[in-house]
Amino acid sequence: MIAMPSSNLYTQAVLDHCRAPRNFGVLASPTHVADGANPLCGDTLRMELRCEDGRVAEMRFSGDACAIARAAASMLSELAIDRSDRELAGLQQVFIALVGGKVAGDDRLGGLNAMRELANHPVRQKCALLPFATLRAALAGLRSATTEGIE
Amino acid sequence: MNAVPSEKPKPERFDPLRYRADFPLLARRVHDKPLIYFDNANTAQKPRAVIDAVDRYYREFNANVSRAVHTLGEEATSAYEATRDKLARFINAPSRDEIVLTSGTTQAINTVAYSFAMPRLKPGDEILVTTMEHHANIVPWQLVCERTGARLKVAPIMPSGELIAARFIEMLTPSVKLAAIVHVSNVLGTVNPVRDLAKACRARGIPLLVDGSQAAPHVPIDVQALGCDFYALTGHKLFGPTGTGMLWARREWLEAMPPFFGGGEMIKTVSFDKTTFADPPHKFEAGTPNIAGFIGLGAALDYVEAIGRDRIAAYERDLLVYATTALKSVPGLRLFGEAPHKAAVLSFLIDGIHAHDLATLLDHEGIAVRSGHHCAHPLMQFFGVPATARASLAFYNTRDEVDRFVAAIGRVRKLLG
Repeated sequence: MIAMPSSNLYTQAVLDHCRAPRNFGVLASPTHVADGANPLCGDTLRMELRCEDGRVAEMRFSGDACAIARAAASMLSELAIDRSDRELAGLQQVFIALVGGKVAGDDRLGGLNAMRELANHPVRQKCALLPFATLRAALAGLRSATTEGIE
Repeated sequence: MNAVPSEKPKPERFDPLRYRADFPLLARRVHDKPLIYFDNANTAQKPRAVIDAVDRYYREFNANVSRAVHTLGEEATSAYEATRDKLARFINAPSRDEIVLTSGTTQAINTVAYSFAMPRLKPGDEILVTTMEHHANIVPWQLVCERTGARLKVAPIMPSGELIAARFIEMLTPSVKLAAIVHVSNVLGTVNPVRDLAKACRARGIPLLVDGSQAAPHVPIDVQALGCDFYALTGHKLFGPTGTGMLWARREWLEAMPPFFGGGEMIKTVSFDKTTFADPPHKFEAGTPNIAGFIGLGAALDYVEAIGRDRIAAYERDLLVYATTALKSVPGLRLFGEAPHKAAVLSFLIDGIHAHDLATLLDHEGIAVRSGHHCAHPLMQFFGVPATARASLAFYNTRDEVDRFVAAIGRVRKLLG
């Protein structure tokens, strides 16, 4: 018999970030910009950053994406401030492990821990991974990112 | 072969519950709710007759076809080849020898692309398709165009999801060497006026391919009456196993076309100096086929014919009207595809709710719908949306399921709206 995934993916925390996303919008003078796309579903997400001394000082996101991607982007925007690319690279790996069900939770991820339920929704995991992939692409100086190739 | 529905239906009244009992999977629960399967355009569920036919083949007469002379080989060959006869009857083909068995519609269209279009087309030639095509009826032609220097031309549709047939016909200029059109749209449900289009193509000497994937389970098909040159369909949407399908082509074309794949089964004689090919259809059937699958498809065809395609179409028409009215009562719902002549496919979006969120939350209620681009990017671009949700119905679906579906959408709106 196939295991039934439980249905608490759309938690209050996720719904709250989705309805009232933090840092939604654009920046007047971003230093880094990338467009993320999930080719599976056609979702797009733009990340705009202003970095100072190698750390994220401001971040805004915009685009047309599902509730999971919007909530993940909103949660990430709270996590990313004052972090270096190197720190964010480490957090991304922890987040990928969380979404993939390899760790149950990690204090360093803050609000993004709400995404742990995605371990039971394999087809929706990339929705949550897109914001992080786009943020890292922006920091790497790339103009675009996709969810392809994320393990 | 016992492949008829469990009870002979009375012709006057169509009772979907009687047929539901023939589909073991439909009794399943998902997230502790009774399953409502509204993803039939993606793939259909299989009646017991199909499951049993596949099972029986493996248990009782598993052997390779058209090679072995022993008893098992003869039994397997005759059951497998019987499906070719059934398919010929199903689409009213003039001859069983015009039925090429393929892995599905995609292989069928690619066979025409590589064996028919590729050797014929030259720079400046054109292939005409429509905005509402599935990627399977776009990408093979793009590959042909890339290699031959030909160009793909796209006939437009109306916001209602209807093809602008007059434009399609105008676009059949002398440079068009092939036209390809979907019979029933998998996204919009639109039933295209294939007969009229085929007539216009024939008058100009332009061969017409029809993608019948979505038509086969829902509308009666008569390739002679339609007047097309190629007709492709897939078995798994027709209540048969995956990995089965068919290309019908006029004999003159099949004879003129070189083989697509080379290998066993498609030859007359092989030597290192010269190989001669089998006659159609076997020329296009290299290698050991999906024998069990085609035996299952034969059972599916028997099953559908025993119910009667006209009765299925009539019931689904009623259910579509009912579902359309019910969905339109949902505030903020936008329906894609309102052609007057359409099959029971309902693509829609709800203001402020992403199709994937809707599909995930409906799944939590035991309801299976598809969300996404439905392998029709250009059509999504036409409507200016990244994705839609799609409920596609079959004859085993009921008004009660539609009611529960609409109620569940109401709960999703409350949560996300």
